[in-house]
Amino acid sequence: MLQHFDPNKDYGTPASLSEKLVTLEIDGVEVTVPEGTSVMRAAAMYDINIPKLCATDNLEAFGSCRICAVQIEGRRGTPASCTTPVDAGMKVTTQNDKLAKLRRNIMELYISDHPLDCLTCPANGDCELQNMAGAVGLREVRYGFEGNNHLHAEKDQSNPYFTFDASKCIVCSRCVRACSEVQGTFALTIDGRGFDSKVAAGQNEQFLDSECVSCGACVQACPTATLMENSVIDMGTPEHSVTTTCAYCGVGCSFKAEMKGDQLVRMVPAKDGDANHGHSCVKGRFAFGYATHKDRIKAPMIRDSIDQPWKEVSWEEAIGFAAKRLKDIQAQYGRESIGGITSSRCTNEETYLVQKLIRAAFGNNNTDTCARVCHSPTGYGLKQTLGESAGTQTFDSVMFSDCILVIGANPTDAHPVFGSLMRRRLREGASLIVTDPREIDLLSTPHLGDATHLPLRPGTNVAMVNALAHVVVTEGYEDKEFIASRCDTKAYSKWREFIIDERHAPEAVEAITGVSAEKVRAAARKFATAKNASIYYGLGVTEHSQGSTTVMGIANLALATGNIGREGVGVNPLRGQNNVQGSCDMGSFPHELPGYQHVADSVARARFEKAWGVELDDEPGLRIPNMFDAALAGEFRAMYVQGEDIAQSDPNTQHVEAALSALDCLIVQDIFLNETAKYAHVLLPGSTFLEKNGTFTNAERRINRVRKVMAPVAGKEDWEVTVDLANALGYPMSYSHPSEIMDEIASLTPSFANVSYERLEEHGSLQWPCNDAFPMGSPIMHTESFPIGDEGKAKFAVTEFVPTTERANSRFPLLLTTGRILSQYNVGAQTRRTDNQAWHDEDILELHPHDAEERGIKTGDWLGITSRAGHTVLRARVAERMQPGVVYTTFHHPGSGANVITTNNSDWATNCPEYKVTAVQVEKVSQPSQWQKNFQDNHERQYEFLRGSASSEAKAIK
Amino acid sequence: MFHTEEESIVTMINHIAQNNVSAGTESDVADMVESHITKFWSRRMKKILAEQLATGTEEFEPAAKVAAQRISDKLAEKA
Repeated sequence: MLQHFDPNKDYGTPASLSEKLVTLEIDGVEVTVPEGTSVMRAAAMYDINIPKLCATDNLEAFGSCRICAVQIEGRRGTPASCTTPVDAGMKVTTQNDKLAKLRRNIMELYISDHPLDCLTCPANGDCELQNMAGAVGLREVRYGFEGNNHLHAEKDQSNPYFTFDASKCIVCSRCVRACSEVQGTFALTIDGRGFDSKVAAGQNEQFLDSECVSCGACVQACPTATLMENSVIDMGTPEHSVTTTCAYCGVGCSFKAEMKGDQLVRMVPAKDGDANHGHSCVKGRFAFGYATHKDRIKAPMIRDSIDQPWKEVSWEEAIGFAAKRLKDIQAQYGRESIGGITSSRCTNEETYLVQKLIRAAFGNNNTDTCARVCHSPTGYGLKQTLGESAGTQTFDSVMFSDCILVIGANPTDAHPVFGSLMRRRLREGASLIVTDPREIDLLSTPHLGDATHLPLRPGTNVAMVNALAHVVVTEGYEDKEFIASRCDTKAYSKWREFIIDERHAPEAVEAITGVSAEKVRAAARKFATAKNASIYYGLGVTEHSQGSTTVMGIANLALATGNIGREGVGVNPLRGQNNVQGSCDMGSFPHELPGYQHVADSVARARFEKAWGVELDDEPGLRIPNMFDAALAGEFRAMYVQGEDIAQSDPNTQHVEAALSALDCLIVQDIFLNETAKYAHVLLPGSTFLEKNGTFTNAERRINRVRKVMAPVAGKEDWEVTVDLANALGYPMSYSHPSEIMDEIASLTPSFANVSYERLEEHGSLQWPCNDAFPMGSPIMHTESFPIGDEGKAKFAVTEFVPTTERANSRFPLLLTTGRILSQYNVGAQTRRTDNQAWHDEDILELHPHDAEERGIKTGDWLGITSRAGHTVLRARVAERMQPGVVYTTFHHPGSGANVITTNNSDWATNCPEYKVTAVQVEKVSQPSQWQKNFQDNHERQYEFLRGSASSEAKAIK
Repeated sequence: MFHTEEESIVTMINHIAQNNVSAGTESDVADMVESHITKFWSRRMKKILAEQLATGTEEFEPAAKVAAQRISDKLAEKA
């Protein structure tokens, strides 16, 4: 019998990775499986299905329910098939009278303490206990239901997304094991012994009050209705599903959108998802309610001025209005007076079309993307050193890593599903080095290896990375063979001379970073001597005035130690939004056509000119901050913004607001009236990821399909709106499906040459480069050469540490760094419109007890935060995880004004804002800032313009 | 933190020069700065740079000034 892996089938225990095969006999059938496979899994692989309750194939075998008992020739008793590994020549019997009786007896005991309410149970038809009762032929319960039982156990309904009904629990421990093995949080336990055993969250707390992070792994694992989604309790079980890709972070998890008609009942992580392997986080799993939120923009709207009410119009009128304004402005102020911003939340196809619209129909290169404010230094730094603007590995690669260096990233909050995978590897014994001003949760992960925290001062990453490299080189840890064969000799020699200078020694930079030299040396040795050492970094690296330098320093460190080009190593930028990688790949930057082909490259440009039928500008266009400056100078008059909220996400809010107010025409295409839309003249309804077809590319360069599960609320997918706008401007665009856009992308982008929807359907996902050189895609890059220079050799880069000019002084003695939290996403437009608000309904300023005491501040106090850019007010949380002198907040709530205080300092190479270093002073205050008062007034006014009267939502927004 | 666009343009070119001070001699650094600006800066930014070089009050780093002059010369040639 041929073995096929069916992702929808539960094989009971995890797959064995052994390459050695073992042949045995199960129920007279000869089966051949990898050594180490359980008898249960071996049987399932040949479609021999042994009843089970406590076993499921994403958890290690546990052997508690005993319902999977089998008989094995020559062995005593009835061993559990889940915990019994196969043996060559073994003869297994899975069905006979004795086993049937045993299983019925076990099931009888379970059911004697289980409510007989199948017909009204939310899991009716989707219950493994019910299925197994049927499979073992249970017909009676001889013990009755009168004795001690748990049938009246109280429900825990504290979590907004799922209910814990202890009366239905069979104490199989699947939830407990899922929480520890899959998620790595260890929030659940079995409390008590024997009959009193019960599942408990935290220290016998309500789920919401415990350490539970609501990833949904326990709900997924539960074989009964004990842990059940509230949406299923309310709506019933789904009747069909569509596999698609999550639109939250850059992990790009695959989900089955389970539907009832056109209503989404639940999102279930896909077991065959190449990025997430069946795991999820609270956002992707549960926070989809925003798609049907009452605030959705459902019709196109226009107005002449931002001080006027919106007028609801037809698509034709709105597009016509927008096109006329754009044409009139260009006629009056010139070709370069307009531009646009693509979205890292939209699909590759939509992003490609927006930049095409700008380059071909607007006739300039004034296109940029929100990657400008997050990972543009990654694009620059990795291109300079490794030759490609992308991470080198798969997520799964971390499972082969022996030492993991995390710099300026907080994966358990910002990339939770990957964070769980990393935690799994750490529990297996990989060592961990974290370079971060804050003590992040990853450091508390239980693991066998030791964790090292290098709590550096904000703004000193380059000094730290150089110090690590200095130790590698001066203590003789270089991988000389790798360097000689894979790296450019001249660049290496120059860098080596630079890095061995004593000014980079840990002792010399101790005063800069604030981290002891001894600790830095130990960390460098640990990294350099690991068999496989990997680097993961995030916005704590890029969002600095030296962000690009740090990225190059990270590449230097990986190259010097030979940690590139195989499993378990590499340079891994953790991308923030779902399609940051894709938006960069698709030519969103003003200097690059799709596939990172420079606009001045006449050969590349000619191919686009031929395909698009227009002459293209060979000069880079305006970047986002330049657009703002040009708007204030009166030279940039109109902007098309698809799916981004620059008024909230970009730094120095008051400057951004002034620039947006100066525009003659702002066209915003979004699902909500976001902060930017409050300055718009044309509001075009956007479509959520559930309402369209396309692809996203995640942080591991994986191109995943996005599939439409419901109709767009206003009738058009986002790409269709861009097509309409292009046609109205007189530039013809004609596509009947996003697959045709992808075909065009593939024809013009060498790294996407072999990508098509057909191939994506066939393979599930593809990682670029995917072309004739790499027909099946490239899970690991740079295995043999680098796409740089004539010889394909990586280039070390000299990484001078230039301190930021944003420094603390007596007036602004603290350094503010901003970041993200697990339950909210980016500007919060989506997650604030879900029950995720239960975890984080306002942005808080965290500060060290020492700084708090000095200022008489207690948790909960209102604090005025003043920087060189502005002033805002937030509540305080005194937190030991902060280092003295450093304060932290998030920017998920627009009314917080976190970016009112961030400055216009930026990365020297890319203009990525320096969000991570702002000198501030904090003091206790009693009222909101003037900006916050103005914000609230404008918020209410703009919602009034939208709806005719101020909505309750508008009043309630923070 | 800067307050005008002109100030920001000169700050940026100086910043590029400072971050590449180890590229070699002043001329090497100027080469790098010129190449960077040619590749990444918009026409408008280059124009403001040239104006600042000619008439502005902002102070240039030596290598940045050399690069700015070259950029300015190229703009003049194109015009």
